[in-house]
Amino acid sequence: MNRSRRNQRKVRRKLESIGYLMSLPYILHFLAFGAYPLAFAFILVFHKWNIYLPMKWVGWGNIRFLIHDPLVWKALWNTFYFVLIHIPAQLVVALALAELLNRPVRGRTLFRAIYFMPVVISGVVITILWQQLYAQDTGLLNRALTAVGLPRIPWLTDYRLAMPSIAVMATWKNVGFYVVLFLVGLQSIPRSLYEAAALDGASEWKQFWHITLPMLNPTILLVLILSTIGGFSLFIEPYIMTGGGPANSTLSGVLYLYKQAFFFNRMGYAATIGFFWAMMIFVVVLLQRKVVERDVG
Amino acid sequence: MPILGNGTGLGWLILIVVALTVGCTTRRTETSRADDHLTYWTSTNPQEMEFARLIVAEWNRQHPEAPIDWEPIPAGVSSEEVLLAAIASRTTPDLCSNIWPGALEQYIEARGLVRLDDFPDFFSVMRRRMPDEMLARFRSRDGHYYQVPWKTNPIMMLYNVRMFREAGIDHPPRTYAELLDAGARLTRDRDGDGEIDQWLMVIDLQPVWYKRMFDFYPFYLAASRGQPLVADDRPVFDNRAAVEVFRLFRELFRRGYVIKSLSYSDPFLLERVAIKPNVGPWSIAEIERKRPGQLQYDVAPIPRPDDVPGPSITYGDYKNIVIFSTSRRPRAAWQFIRFMISKQNDLRLLEMTEQLPIRQPLLADPLFAGFFRRQPKLIPFARQAFHTRGTDAVPELKEIFDAIAQEFEACALLGLKSPERAVHDAARRSRLILSLR
Amino acid sequence: MMKRLGIYAALILGAIVFLYPFLWMLSATFKPELELGGFHLIPHRVTWENYRLVFTKIPILRAFINSLFVSATATTSVIVFGAMVGYALSRLSFPGRDLILNVILFTMMIPAQLTLIPLYTLIVRLGWADSYQALIVPGMMSGFAILLFRQFFRTIPQSLIEAARLDGCSEWQILFHIVLPLSKPVITTVGILTFMGMWNDLLWPLLVIHDRRLMTMPQVVALFSIGGLAEARVGAQLAAATLLALPIIAAYAFFQRTFIESMATTGLKG
Repeated sequence: MNRSRRNQRKVRRKLESIGYLMSLPYILHFLAFGAYPLAFAFILVFHKWNIYLPMKWVGWGNIRFLIHDPLVWKALWNTFYFVLIHIPAQLVVALALAELLNRPVRGRTLFRAIYFMPVVISGVVITILWQQLYAQDTGLLNRALTAVGLPRIPWLTDYRLAMPSIAVMATWKNVGFYVVLFLVGLQSIPRSLYEAAALDGASEWKQFWHITLPMLNPTILLVLILSTIGGFSLFIEPYIMTGGGPANSTLSGVLYLYKQAFFFNRMGYAATIGFFWAMMIFVVVLLQRKVVERDVG
Repeated sequence: MPILGNGTGLGWLILIVVALTVGCTTRRTETSRADDHLTYWTSTNPQEMEFARLIVAEWNRQHPEAPIDWEPIPAGVSSEEVLLAAIASRTTPDLCSNIWPGALEQYIEARGLVRLDDFPDFFSVMRRRMPDEMLARFRSRDGHYYQVPWKTNPIMMLYNVRMFREAGIDHPPRTYAELLDAGARLTRDRDGDGEIDQWLMVIDLQPVWYKRMFDFYPFYLAASRGQPLVADDRPVFDNRAAVEVFRLFRELFRRGYVIKSLSYSDPFLLERVAIKPNVGPWSIAEIERKRPGQLQYDVAPIPRPDDVPGPSITYGDYKNIVIFSTSRRPRAAWQFIRFMISKQNDLRLLEMTEQLPIRQPLLADPLFAGFFRRQPKLIPFARQAFHTRGTDAVPELKEIFDAIAQEFEACALLGLKSPERAVHDAARRSRLILSLR
Repeated sequence: MMKRLGIYAALILGAIVFLYPFLWMLSATFKPELELGGFHLIPHRVTWENYRLVFTKIPILRAFINSLFVSATATTSVIVFGAMVGYALSRLSFPGRDLILNVILFTMMIPAQLTLIPLYTLIVRLGWADSYQALIVPGMMSGFAILLFRQFFRTIPQSLIEAARLDGCSEWQILFHIVLPLSKPVITTVGILTFMGMWNDLLWPLLVIHDRRLMTMPQVVALFSIGGLAEARVGAQLAAATLLALPIIAAYAFFQRTFIESMATTGLKG
């Protein structure tokens, strides 16, 4: 009896040590590439550092710079502008396509696969492609416009249009992903709800408005959050297409951070922008969650 | 059936670590050098490398006690990045001759350079090449000298003589009024298809900081008669000269005198524009090589506001020589520099690279006369060479030019801001940048 | 009937909107410069000039191999370590297990922008700038992959594991010989997500790699397009982009269902 208990304890000890051993690589990796950068971010915020020379303490300098830096606020405004166009477009198109695909149609998998294709392809490819579609003189979109007698549109060269153009492109790239999410959401709505509504004589439009939409609320929240985070992470598109111009109208937070770090070697300030940006993402996502959850309640 | 083979977790761990170490090529090759050898980094420009090869060979023949190895600056994002990284890792060479003064303060901050005015003959050597007031412009913020001014590329304006003559103008524009007037006459629809196909001038439209060193900055120096942008760590360009330059460019863009189309690879060579205002002597050789037979051009100083007297001062794109603090034989390095900037070698520099040594007098000296007879297009540049300014001694120079470039785009190119407002905002941003020290 | 027709019309219109640009891109890479403005998909005259320019101007083959090596190594590592940690977290109990779980959940909440610069400076301090380690090592573990494995392993009956233990199998043997072979779906999901993420990433390689010989494919293609190397030749830029898209499109053509399902899990987790 005593012996077997000791034996059991020995086995448990052994399992415990194996558990630690198996988790060890992750713990080490987390300490080096997760915890350390996180802690170092806090330190960098208070330093000026060009990476080549010793760090220099600047106290609140970076934060003061950030508050007074019009480009940070410009980037923030650009992000909101992007999200403002991108999210509604995303929701409407994705919901419409998902709603169509949720009906008994032939070739549903094929359609779904086609809509999803831009999602898996690198943003670099999509951006280079759309840059040609948007080109002023030779682009397909302007060729189509001039063919029917309309004037050319300066998609990427007008400071008012450049960001909306990027938002449309981003919608085209990502919408397939949200179609799939909405499809999953739609399929989880019990048929009995619709049947009951149909018995009550509710029109299809009414059913959509009163059953489908409320039932999809969690999916909509998810789409909102993911698109917002996507908007705050915007980099490839302005980096390749516009370099942030014209007149900084497509400058994104990440692009600005990249410029501060690599054009001007301001690691401390770049880290401060990253910090601020992460905080903004947190705040916006929390707000969205609050708003949508209150609407559900 | 195990998918991942028979290895245990630890086995995989080891495998991956091994794969990584094997896969990772070590790329930094430490330059092994004998103890008494000095290392000299040149620019990567082929003509300059040829120049270095020649003079180093001659030096090594005459001075076996201080042999020199030369190599081009290692490749990198930019030579400043490479030099800063080398200073940080203390892998700098003994000397380098491709130092842009705009980046010098950063190297000094990093304690990477040797103070040259400690050499007893520094001032006497310098005086043989340039007057004191010129040398004073290369003094660093701490009042000392860390660079030998070596060569310069004054930025000037090329104009198409034939196009001007055909428009009824017999001299290049000297003032803003003349420039705008020329724009009105030269910008037109040549083939009558309803679209403009000839413009007054071309500049690089990208809102990138260093592009503004070749248009805004020379025009600002001409308009302000050589005032700095930054003095005592404060921006001092919130003034009439800067506003006038912004206003001029805004006007040129508003009236459509500047070509915006990117369909011509070099519109000046193709005679689509009559003026190229951002040219240094280095481009003359290329233009001479490529130019179509009928192109007649000449070189003129940068135009000034109507009420500013001449001569025009412009930006001289300098490349200077420094000794790094890692050098174990700074005296030998200094001796080599003295050899490198001798009159004989200045002539070689001129002939091999077509860049102007900072030496006065250049045109009057019989030694150089033969060269200028063969290359008359370089005479205006040589005449301009002593009416030039470098860049202000401030480590944040790039960022200040970036601030100017941003406002230049908003005001001149897009017309979103008044010149006064744009200059003011650029100065405010510069103050902000300089406050973060 | 009209309604059904309408539905199909809308779906087909959608398909054209998503498919046509890709087909146009592919065909444009074979078109001479003058034909590029056209809407037609079959080039009147086929030219290989665009691809020739890509292969002579940039080290695209080297970049392809770099990307393949980096993505494959990181993916293998994410799977192996993800399974290991996932197994420990679901099948072994030890003090501090929940702490690790919470750490993973915490790391997944941190926006990447926050640690981007400190992580980059760490790489520089380690002397890893311009090396394969810089591209691979930070991506060798994924909290998300661990959670996926953990969740999947919890569905495997405990009796199976107990039986193996009684047979004298070590925990390593159980993991690699018994549990992992049963985990193909989750391995595929993690594999696809990690590989795709690594293959398509641009920002991180831009930060840590400046040596052309070590650049990844998206990096080389992006720099080709925005730098002057493409000589403003649209056809060549599109050819480079096509080459970059090709491997993923090929994989997608065969495994589109798995791709879509894998991607959907990322959303549903979030």
